[in-house]
Amino acid sequence: MPLIVRLLVLLAGLGLAAAATAAREIGADEYGYPLANPFEATIAGTPEPLRPALPDDEDIDQADYSLRLRPHRELPDNFWAVKTLKYRLARQKGPAPLVFIISGTGAHYTNSKTEDLKRLFYGAGYHVVQLSSPCSQDFMAAASRDATPGISDRDAVDLYRAMRKIRKQQRDLPVTDYSLVGYSLGGLNAAFVSHLDEREGAFRFRRVLMINPPVNVYSAVTNLDRLVQTEVKGITNSQTFYDLILAKLTRYFEEHGSAQIDMALLYDFQRSQQRLSNEEMAMLIGAVFRFTAADMAFTSDLINQRGAIVPPTYPMDEGTSLTPFFKRALLCDFDCYIREQLLPFWRKRERGGSIVQLVDQISLYALRDYLAGSSKIAVFHNRDDLILGPGDLGFLRQTLGERLTLFPRGGHCGNMEYRVNTQAMLEFLRD
Amino acid sequence: MTERSLSALLLAGLLVLGADASAGDMTPDADGFTRPLELLRFNPQLNQREFERATLVALVNNDPWEGWNRRVYHFNQRFDEWVYLPAVDVYRTVTPRFVRSGVSHFFANLGEIPSLANHLLQLQGHDALHTTARLLFNTVLGVGGLWDPASRMGLPRRSEDFGQTLGYWGVEEGPYMVLPLLGPSNLRDTGGLAFDFAIGAALDPAAEAGATQQATPYYGVMALDRRYINPFRYGELNSPFEYEKVRYVYTEARRLQIAE
Repeated sequence: MPLIVRLLVLLAGLGLAAAATAAREIGADEYGYPLANPFEATIAGTPEPLRPALPDDEDIDQADYSLRLRPHRELPDNFWAVKTLKYRLARQKGPAPLVFIISGTGAHYTNSKTEDLKRLFYGAGYHVVQLSSPCSQDFMAAASRDATPGISDRDAVDLYRAMRKIRKQQRDLPVTDYSLVGYSLGGLNAAFVSHLDEREGAFRFRRVLMINPPVNVYSAVTNLDRLVQTEVKGITNSQTFYDLILAKLTRYFEEHGSAQIDMALLYDFQRSQQRLSNEEMAMLIGAVFRFTAADMAFTSDLINQRGAIVPPTYPMDEGTSLTPFFKRALLCDFDCYIREQLLPFWRKRERGGSIVQLVDQISLYALRDYLAGSSKIAVFHNRDDLILGPGDLGFLRQTLGERLTLFPRGGHCGNMEYRVNTQAMLEFLRD
Repeated sequence: MTERSLSALLLAGLLVLGADASAGDMTPDADGFTRPLELLRFNPQLNQREFERATLVALVNNDPWEGWNRRVYHFNQRFDEWVYLPAVDVYRTVTPRFVRSGVSHFFANLGEIPSLANHLLQLQGHDALHTTARLLFNTVLGVGGLWDPASRMGLPRRSEDFGQTLGYWGVEEGPYMVLPLLGPSNLRDTGGLAFDFAIGAALDPAAEAGATQQATPYYGVMALDRRYINPFRYGELNSPFEYEKVRYVYTEARRLQIAE
């Protein structure tokens, strides 16, 4: 009998402990983000009137700068534009804290999501530095040692080096402390950079915010690869998927008589007869990521002269057509990039190892103890994010506890500009 | 302004109503994860090659002068980075915002004249009237086109160029071309551009008023304004295949504009 009582007490205690560290959950009815469909949210983002008021570009004191980080790397002439790494700095008038933003998978530092975050933080009084994703062409060519992105701790070293050089280049900027924000894959990058910083100590980040990061990198890219495998009605031998989408757009314009393409159009379009089905939207999202995969596969292959897509000695100048290589590269999805380039490269460095080990090493699992123990890190995620797999939210709940904020909707990064989210971001950075 | 935010709110309200109806069955699992991919019907073999097929078809193009075009593309990118954008930055710093918007409206208003001609040439009587009304309102009420009161009166700009007119009458696009400083075009649209320029120059009220006597500042400001209002920036796609993507988007966007 007493044993059972003691067990009950123990269980109750465990229950209490679990309750104390439960994730912050936002209920569906109190949230108010209007797009319940995760695909629509991912594509369309947040309707304009539901966004916070942000400073206009004209009111931001900002400029682009460039760094020469790999002066000895040889690139063909037609890649002259990515021989230096560019970044954007928005500066406050006086001393202020600084936020580094790491862009999502393959995105440029001027990506609209990065820009919106910049406006948000700048409006709240931060200096802001915008960085391209380590998977993007410019970062791979100008800043990455291996130009084989995906090995998270090595990507973090490249990012960290770039960030230190930026601080050196901007040494006149009066900075009071540093924070780090990343969305999508940039969120995962931020965690690895922060982990590295604990050892190196150059920035001593005060706050690290991960927005919609992948948990298991491999299941995330598998999801993305699968999106182009949906069954879309109306694809025939003579009508491709793009023809189908363009035909819908054309019919829509014929009905509405205006070809102004903007965000309002997207909402309007989804309420019209021509609205896209879930499968069509998934295919569109998947196609965007396939283009990113093609860019990555091509750039990594070109710089490392692996010969998977470009013959290693192929002569190139500014007039050379890249279309034949584009055609080859777009046959390569993320899985293909991992198996053909990333895994062999990693295996050579590690003297062997399986894909399971690679995935463990590059996913958030590798930082479980760090994430669990570091109170400066928080994760914002959505219950309906396309890049998650079953069990991923469980991992985040267990690891981060109350530092995980879970929104009921938003798809992948669709609710980043929503007022409730931006408010929560600012509160987290400030506290 | 209030009207715009009101209609935006209305739109958002409609979205709330519409979105709930379109949500599928998404019961969360034990973690609270709603498994969005389970909403989709997949090709059971996962061996569909539609993305590849569609993209390869989209890459079929009429670009016989590609080598030359690419060199011009690189030239434009360098010019943009080293001359054009820095000049626009200076323009942005030395002029107040209302002056810049006045300049944009002024040149846009002059552009209504070739636009009107093209509406007429495409037998679009209604659009021609619409554009005439805009031209009159903006010139008279907007003091020579410095404001755009017509848009506030519910007459948005409907521009039409001679390339579109030619397309309307069935003229083929011809080979893709990248024009020095002006960017993507094709043989038909390049001809159209020359025509519109000629019409604009012949019927230019600014010339009547003697503004074009000062050719360097006049066309200089015109060039600055053109770049100032154009949001495209080289490199932002961040893809080694930017040239291909711009070519595709230009071609398809023109086809859409002509079909519209």
